[in-house]
Amino acid sequence: MLHIKKEGNVFGAKIRLALVAVMAIGLVAAMTPSNAAQKAPKQIRILYATAEANSAAVQSALPAFNKKTGVKLVMDTMPYGALQTKVFAEFAAKSSYYDVVIVDTPWSPALAQNLEPLSGYMTNKSLNNLAPLNAADFIPKVFYDTAVYNVKKPSQHYPKPTAKVDPAAIKKAGFDVYGLPIQANALALAYRKDLFEDPAQKAAFKKAAGRALTVPKTLDEFAEVAEFFTQPEKNLYGTTLMAGTGDWSTDDFKTLLAAFGGDGYMIGNNQELNFNSTAGVKALTYYRNLIKSGFTPPGTTSASWDEVATMFNSGLTAMTMNYHDLKLDDTIKGGVIGYAKVPAGNSEGPHFGTWMLSVNKFSKNKEWAYRAAQWLTSAEQSTAMLSKGIHPARNSVYVAAVKLPDANRAAYYRTLKQALAVGAGRPRLTNYGEVNAVIFTMVNNVATGKLEPKPALAAAAVEVTKLLESAGYKVSK
Amino acid sequence: MKNEMIDLVDASAASSLELARRNSEPTLPNNKKSRNGIYWVQMSPALIILLLMTIAPAIFLVRKSLTNDSLLNSNSNFVGLDNYQAILTDASLLNSARVTATFVGIVVLLEMVAGLFFAQLLHKKSRSNSVAGALLIIPFAVAPAVSAMVFRELLNPNYGWVNYFMGLVGLPDKIDWLGNSTTAWIALIGLDVWQWTPFVTLILIAGMSSLPAEPLEAAAVDGANSWQIFRHISFRLLAPFIGIALVLRTIQAFKTFDSFLILTGGGPGDSTSPINLEIYRVALQSFRVGYASAMAIILLITISVLTPILLRILRRATQNEEV
Repeated sequence: MLHIKKEGNVFGAKIRLALVAVMAIGLVAAMTPSNAAQKAPKQIRILYATAEANSAAVQSALPAFNKKTGVKLVMDTMPYGALQTKVFAEFAAKSSYYDVVIVDTPWSPALAQNLEPLSGYMTNKSLNNLAPLNAADFIPKVFYDTAVYNVKKPSQHYPKPTAKVDPAAIKKAGFDVYGLPIQANALALAYRKDLFEDPAQKAAFKKAAGRALTVPKTLDEFAEVAEFFTQPEKNLYGTTLMAGTGDWSTDDFKTLLAAFGGDGYMIGNNQELNFNSTAGVKALTYYRNLIKSGFTPPGTTSASWDEVATMFNSGLTAMTMNYHDLKLDDTIKGGVIGYAKVPAGNSEGPHFGTWMLSVNKFSKNKEWAYRAAQWLTSAEQSTAMLSKGIHPARNSVYVAAVKLPDANRAAYYRTLKQALAVGAGRPRLTNYGEVNAVIFTMVNNVATGKLEPKPALAAAAVEVTKLLESAGYKVSK
Repeated sequence: MKNEMIDLVDASAASSLELARRNSEPTLPNNKKSRNGIYWVQMSPALIILLLMTIAPAIFLVRKSLTNDSLLNSNSNFVGLDNYQAILTDASLLNSARVTATFVGIVVLLEMVAGLFFAQLLHKKSRSNSVAGALLIIPFAVAPAVSAMVFRELLNPNYGWVNYFMGLVGLPDKIDWLGNSTTAWIALIGLDVWQWTPFVTLILIAGMSSLPAEPLEAAAVDGANSWQIFRHISFRLLAPFIGIALVLRTIQAFKTFDSFLILTGGGPGDSTSPINLEIYRVALQSFRVGYASAMAIILLITISVLTPILLRILRRATQNEEV
């Protein structure tokens, strides 16, 4: 009996030991990332942009991921034109080489069906244990404009662009999430704070305008201040404008279009040509007049975003509107940059465009690709990347950003957040590149004085209609 | 006796050569059809490679041009000649075709004239000409994208060297070179002529170096002046080299893309937007492969038709000179 009891105890102890071992293994497994259904790969390959999406900031975060998970993040970077071709070629070949791919908003309508829908990943707790997802932390306008699509109707925007981000609600509305925003760019007004605070300039402005010199908040004030600071004898002009033939002049135009009460997206969800409107005429007239009046430096009608940055950085203008970081040349003694939202008219909608990290639908490591993208876009990592100048897409990161010791950068982030909250993105078209070319050619033709605003808009509308119809859209008349 | 010996040696050598030739040749069947068949078999590896490298892609391109294929859209449909019809009735594409034709016509003409002029100056062998010849390689050794970027900087109306030096000599120094159609064209043509004239010059220097001296010396002895010698003798003898340079430059000029994209972006407006920039936008920004293929086929046909015409014109010109 005793013998039997002893045997029974030994047997019970063995079972208990086995159970404890199983539980311990389970507990350890649950606490480590390798608990994910998918086996951890050796590496995750990322295709990324260069300066356009601040590759340096993202590069700086990669080693920490390897340290934390044992999975190496390998990132290839390419400049914009080459990147776009590469991204499309990778998806056309259904290549699984890159697990995570950076996507710019104009490409998304054509690419959406090749991107992995992420709402299921976002609601799966085991895939979000490297860093808190906290989807509601993303700036709603940025998130919906960048990442939320109805893949069956990719031209549609999410109907509630200011609602708190909730993957389940997005899914319920017939949409899904196709990436996580990583770099949010928006057009902001930068001005020479030192000039605006210069007593001599203030006095001269007071004398000329009959009011105190302030940073312009309205379009009328902007034109007035630009005129005042146009002092060619000092090699100083009022403002820059990006009126050269390229995406940048479309961005200027759509910002003014929104400011004059028009639709900053230019083309509606059902392909309404909203740019060809009274607000469009006002926007182009205002734009042309600034240039025609000489308030902008020579070279404005051939300038891109980087050339206007050079103009401002070298002290040639008192103001500029740009979506990239600015830094005055060392030769400008006492020069300080201030930032503000771009001037509004009866409404506002500064141009914005955000890059997102998407998971390649053909990747063999989709879960780990998601984990990498989720970790890189987390609040913790975005905050760490502030020192490298990332443009975050999360509200909580801006709380830290506006408290940065560098007052200049803190001021920039304050303005960027305001701009992102009210910005207007691009129309969702599979052939946006061609449509954009028609619009920026039209804007440039008006800027150079070759065409008048109204006929220019009408002619562009005819061309855009043809392009949209050739791409299979039915244009609303 | 000596002549007989020579004849004998010649005959012996000739028969040896004939024997060697016969031994080295494969034994061919007498039947002409069979002989032709063997020739085809022998040529087939080269022909297959040629077909794979050139004809097959062209056929693929033609096939694509008859579809509405898009890079990411698997629903490709046959649309017949719709793409061609759309291209040939599209006002902006016709403008691009005009821009391309104007650009090719002007730059090729200027480069041929300037190339001939510089070749005439530099073809004589001297130490300074050797140095000049080496320096000539630099412009076309620079990547077109890089030279376009450098030109864009040089022409910057606020900081560029061009306006600065124009100001120093009392010329207008606030020219917005790329913001005005005329000056943008001057910039584009200037860049291309700077980059590619040396290429033409080097081809023509090679040609001039290979010209026989006797006809030139004879003409000089007969009292012809330098211009007459150049016009009636050198130019005629140089015709094959001029033809090569002309054809190569015409084809290259049709393909020019980087300088348009970087220097002017097709602007101001669409005044400098060539067909290649349109193809780039359709193919590599909208990825409408079918439509872009049709555009490429039209460009290919244009170049293919133009090349023999140019050569014929050149041949006729030199034949007229001969008469």
